[in-house]
Amino acid sequence: MEDDILTTLKILIIGESGVGKSSLLLRFTDDNFDPEQTLTIGVDFKTKRLNIDGNNVKLAIWDTAGQERFRTLTPSYYRDAQGAILVYDVCNYATFSKLETWLNELETYSTKRNIVKMVVANKIDMENREVSRDEGLHFAKKYKTLFIEASAKTRDGVQSAFEELVQQIIQTPDLWDSYSLGNNVSLGNKDHPAHTSQCSGYCNLV
Amino acid sequence: MEYDLPSDFDIIVVGTGMVESIVSAAASRIGKRVLHIDSNSYYGGLWASFNLDSISKIPEGNRSQPVVENKENEIVYPVGNDVFDLRIHSQKWHIPESNPEKDVDESDSAVAQEEHEWTQEKLLKISRKFNIDLAPKLHFAKGDFVELLISSNIARYSEFRSVSRILTWLNGSLEIVPCSRSDVFSSNRVSVIEKRMLMKLLTSCVDGDENEFKGYEGKTFQSYLKDRKLTENLIHYVLYAIAMCTDDTLCLEGVEKTKRFLGSLGRFGKTPFLYSMYGSGEITQAFCRLSAVFGGIYALNQSLNGFIYDNDNTFKGIICGKQRINATHLVMSLEKLPKEIVDFSTTEYISRAIFITDKSILEDEREHLTLLLFPPVDRKAACVVLELGSLTGTCPKGLHIVHVFTKQTVNPEDDLKHCVEKLFCKREGESNSSPSILWSFYFSAPNTFSQKLECEKLLNTYVCPGPDLDLDYDPAIERAKEIFERIYSNAEFLPRAPDPEEIIIEGEDNNNIINETEERAEVPADQGDVSSELAHEDDT
Repeated sequence: MEDDILTTLKILIIGESGVGKSSLLLRFTDDNFDPEQTLTIGVDFKTKRLNIDGNNVKLAIWDTAGQERFRTLTPSYYRDAQGAILVYDVCNYATFSKLETWLNELETYSTKRNIVKMVVANKIDMENREVSRDEGLHFAKKYKTLFIEASAKTRDGVQSAFEELVQQIIQTPDLWDSYSLGNNVSLGNKDHPAHTSQCSGYCNLV
Repeated sequence: MEYDLPSDFDIIVVGTGMVESIVSAAASRIGKRVLHIDSNSYYGGLWASFNLDSISKIPEGNRSQPVVENKENEIVYPVGNDVFDLRIHSQKWHIPESNPEKDVDESDSAVAQEEHEWTQEKLLKISRKFNIDLAPKLHFAKGDFVELLISSNIARYSEFRSVSRILTWLNGSLEIVPCSRSDVFSSNRVSVIEKRMLMKLLTSCVDGDENEFKGYEGKTFQSYLKDRKLTENLIHYVLYAIAMCTDDTLCLEGVEKTKRFLGSLGRFGKTPFLYSMYGSGEITQAFCRLSAVFGGIYALNQSLNGFIYDNDNTFKGIICGKQRINATHLVMSLEKLPKEIVDFSTTEYISRAIFITDKSILEDEREHLTLLLFPPVDRKAACVVLELGSLTGTCPKGLHIVHVFTKQTVNPEDDLKHCVEKLFCKREGESNSSPSILWSFYFSAPNTFSQKLECEKLLNTYVCPGPDLDLDYDPAIERAKEIFERIYSNAEFLPRAPDPEEIIIEGEDNNNIINETEERAEVPADQGDVSSELAHEDDT
């Protein structure tokens, strides 16, 4: 089963607290939505397989674990990510204004220079909208990111957001191809595919 | 959007060093409300890793503390002391600032491939490719640390590389220590007779019955090795490299240390050791991440203005900025301990040096991750040398980071001089086969593991030591566990965290329940049996 996986990609979701990062994640991975969800507890990262243009890829999508609240995401959170989803809430202008800070943060810590960025305008099902579609588009153009409007509640745009992001990553081979450095030891879990190599050993323990 | 921190917690952890981070993760894991804060803007405290640019800016010592007013029925202690902190000895460049004749190429690949003429400008431009540890650590493949990472499922946050060779300094040159069975048999530096002697000795250390060491209770390990009629070279390998002992180490301790080494062989790669990709600083972050995943609240760069106690010296809360935050327990790093409380008369130090060099101390066709155990000579203590190449993610291609450290007797430069002189070019620009030092950093760090840290005067307060001389994190884990068990005596220490697939988030009709206990039963049995999985990877 694992054999037909082209690559495993690390995707981050960032943005201000309360913009619906975890909701987008859970809608995408589990097709689930909880209007009462407050703070993210226990969600570390979720995995999902996706077929893009005939290629099977496995996504490991990392949630912030609430560490964005006081801007204390660890540098290792950003490490080796190939894609980032930057989320704002269309009903809260402040979350949109902060996007630039998040882009900077990404710039500072991301270890892959051509990491693919997708701006997601969330909560478009709500009525008290403060950020227009044009403003969002303009921002995305200015910073050369992908852009989509979405609602985790109604499913609108959620699947497309991830698919377009992954498509772009796949089209940038040096972003994911170079990851086959090999020889690293991962004590971790089954989400890191085991590269069994003959030399001093990339191994997978669990 | 700026948020105020919540004002009520079960436990406040101050400092993001190793011991603090483990305690924080363990408390969060069992559902305690944890606030984890640091006055630094980075994770890790004295255990952190820095890029080249930021390591030149690390603060030396705590800033002066504001005077705090005591309220009625409460005592407010100021935060921090200037005892337990880094002491920077020197930080120097040994290459020109820039090379005006050549155009500086901006692309990394070009930097890596072109004929190297390193300049400060060039290195600083790729500053972020460096991850320089203040406290580099190796991990015994079957040591407490690796076992804890696996059993708690924290391992998923980090990747490791195995140390590919162990060297020692013998008869005036670097020698590869034969440490695995295949090493011993393929080594041409060890005669056939020696091979059999060595294998026999190592076997008896591991499986030896009690009689083997009878009569050696008060004697040294060295005397035991001599009595076994080992050759000088073999004694050297076993005593200084495998067991990492001194001439005075007692026999039984030497045997234990030999066992620790041999017990970790064959799990990954050729040596018993692993090193964390991107530097040891990653490890504290992994524990912090777990703590956050289970609800721990993180805030860095906080101005800590006081620890609040009642008249019975029971911990009440902290003053953070202008905010008062209450909690039942306080766990803090040693650097944050109020001056009045510390007895620093016995503080020991570690002499450390970090170098950026232009080639390996022992060049080979492929890049190595090298541990050199430099034996004690004359009256100088043994030094540990760790050489990291670009494959560890701690430095750019073509360069090496070398950590050298030992127990402090005089100062970092004098304590390490004899070792450094033998490994590197003496003068700048001098070209021979030894690597040149491009940048050097000498500093002292407190070695506080032998320090008495029980805070008898302050109740519900637990103090975490800083980095120590142990190669691995064993002492740190032990301390963290001890603190955790003192606070939550009946709780499990870092039980396995569920994998993402095991977490079921209930649908819209239900409350958000993380259904973890039920799911755990469904983990396939082979998940638990790490060693069987490992066997396939051994020494391939």
